[in-house]
Amino acid sequence: MPDTTHNGMQCHEFDQLLIDAIDGILSGAALDRFQAHARSCRACGPLLAEAQAGRNWLKSLAEVEPPASLVANILASTSGVDTQRLQAVARAPQPSISWLERVQAAMYGYLEPVWDTVRQPRFAMSFGMAFFALSVGLTVLGVKPSDLRQISLRPTAIRHAYYNAQARVVRYVDNVRPVLELQAAIHGIKRNLAPAEPGPAKQKERKNDTTQQPELKQERNYSRTENQLILASAPRGSFRRGVNACDLPVVSVTTYRRFV
Amino acid sequence: MEDVQVVAMLVRRCIAGDAAAWEEIVQTYNRRIYNICYRFAGSGDDAQDLTQEVFIKMYRTLASYDHTKGAFVTWVTTITRNLLVDHFRKTKQDRVTDSMDTVASEHEDVQPLSEQIQDQSAPPDAHVRQREVGEAVHAALTKISPELREAVILRDLQDMDYKEIAAVLRVPEGTVKSRINRGRAELARLLQRTYRQVM
Repeated sequence: MPDTTHNGMQCHEFDQLLIDAIDGILSGAALDRFQAHARSCRACGPLLAEAQAGRNWLKSLAEVEPPASLVANILASTSGVDTQRLQAVARAPQPSISWLERVQAAMYGYLEPVWDTVRQPRFAMSFGMAFFALSVGLTVLGVKPSDLRQISLRPTAIRHAYYNAQARVVRYVDNVRPVLELQAAIHGIKRNLAPAEPGPAKQKERKNDTTQQPELKQERNYSRTENQLILASAPRGSFRRGVNACDLPVVSVTTYRRFV
Repeated sequence: MEDVQVVAMLVRRCIAGDAAAWEEIVQTYNRRIYNICYRFAGSGDDAQDLTQEVFIKMYRTLASYDHTKGAFVTWVTTITRNLLVDHFRKTKQDRVTDSMDTVASEHEDVQPLSEQIQDQSAPPDAHVRQREVGEAVHAALTKISPELREAVILRDLQDMDYKEIAAVLRVPEGTVKSRINRGRAELARLLQRTYRQVM
């Protein structure tokens, strides 16, 4: 606001008196000077009119009615109605609880997490598979539920039960048809790969030999051809008595290989 | 407005845990606080929330009230004003983007301020006209600066004297008077711009 003087009053003085003039407490010579300044000053005159108009606008505003629930909400959020209601509830007699219900409640508090885990589908599936494997294993071992009553925990009894179970397992495995077939096949392969044994007739002859002389190896050479020309040997005594070797007869012998 | 001794006794009963005394305080001051909040914030919902916050803060700090330092209504108004300032700072960014066409509250018709002011040619009757004028003034009040707004609200709507306003706003009385003058003038200019016929 420009600080100019009109009718003996400066603008800043007018500004200070403005609120008193609007409130109606300005009177006498001060009011006259104030009004004269307002009429002559281009800045202060409109300011007075605007301030009066603004005050009239504001005074025209009616008081707003607060919501009906406001007081109840305030009391509820501080100490009012809810506190009294809670105190009334706290003062009310509580129903008696038996010791069994307390134990159940305590156990339920401990077992509830475990039960929640057990109720999960994956855990139930795993438990079912484990039970199935255990029942199959007990069936294979020949364990019956009725045997559990007669079970003895002495060391000798436990050792005896262990050997029995081991024998059952061995018998069970040996009697399985695929195992038998596999063993027969392995035996056949071994027999075919091994060298051929001499026939039973030869062995009998060998058994009857009481001379205790080793066999001639050339006679056991089965790898040669079946028809061989063998020179018969004469006893040494015949040479000494002057018999010529060229006069000895030639004998043809045929040997036959025998395969078992 | 209030008997100092009566209010001091009421406060002592509240501090002692008397729920009835606290309810009496709530019943006495909720209307005043709600109006201050509504005129400052411009929204009924905000005013309701702010009023509850004011009473919650009052309930927590009631023991700090000293009747020898000032009237209880001044203490209550100071709490209200401080919460309003905090609320204004929180929502300042939103207010920057406001325009004159923004609807101020649910108490008004769903019509921008400029249209409300221009559509004053043929009101059905005086009651409707008065209501529309009030809504226009309320909308204009939310547009002036918060320093001027709180001063004119406390003076022209709550009828507080300058000394009490100075205590609430923590400024000298001269500053209070200056703000009131400027606030009134700014409000009038805002309304006269499109609402000259009423003047």
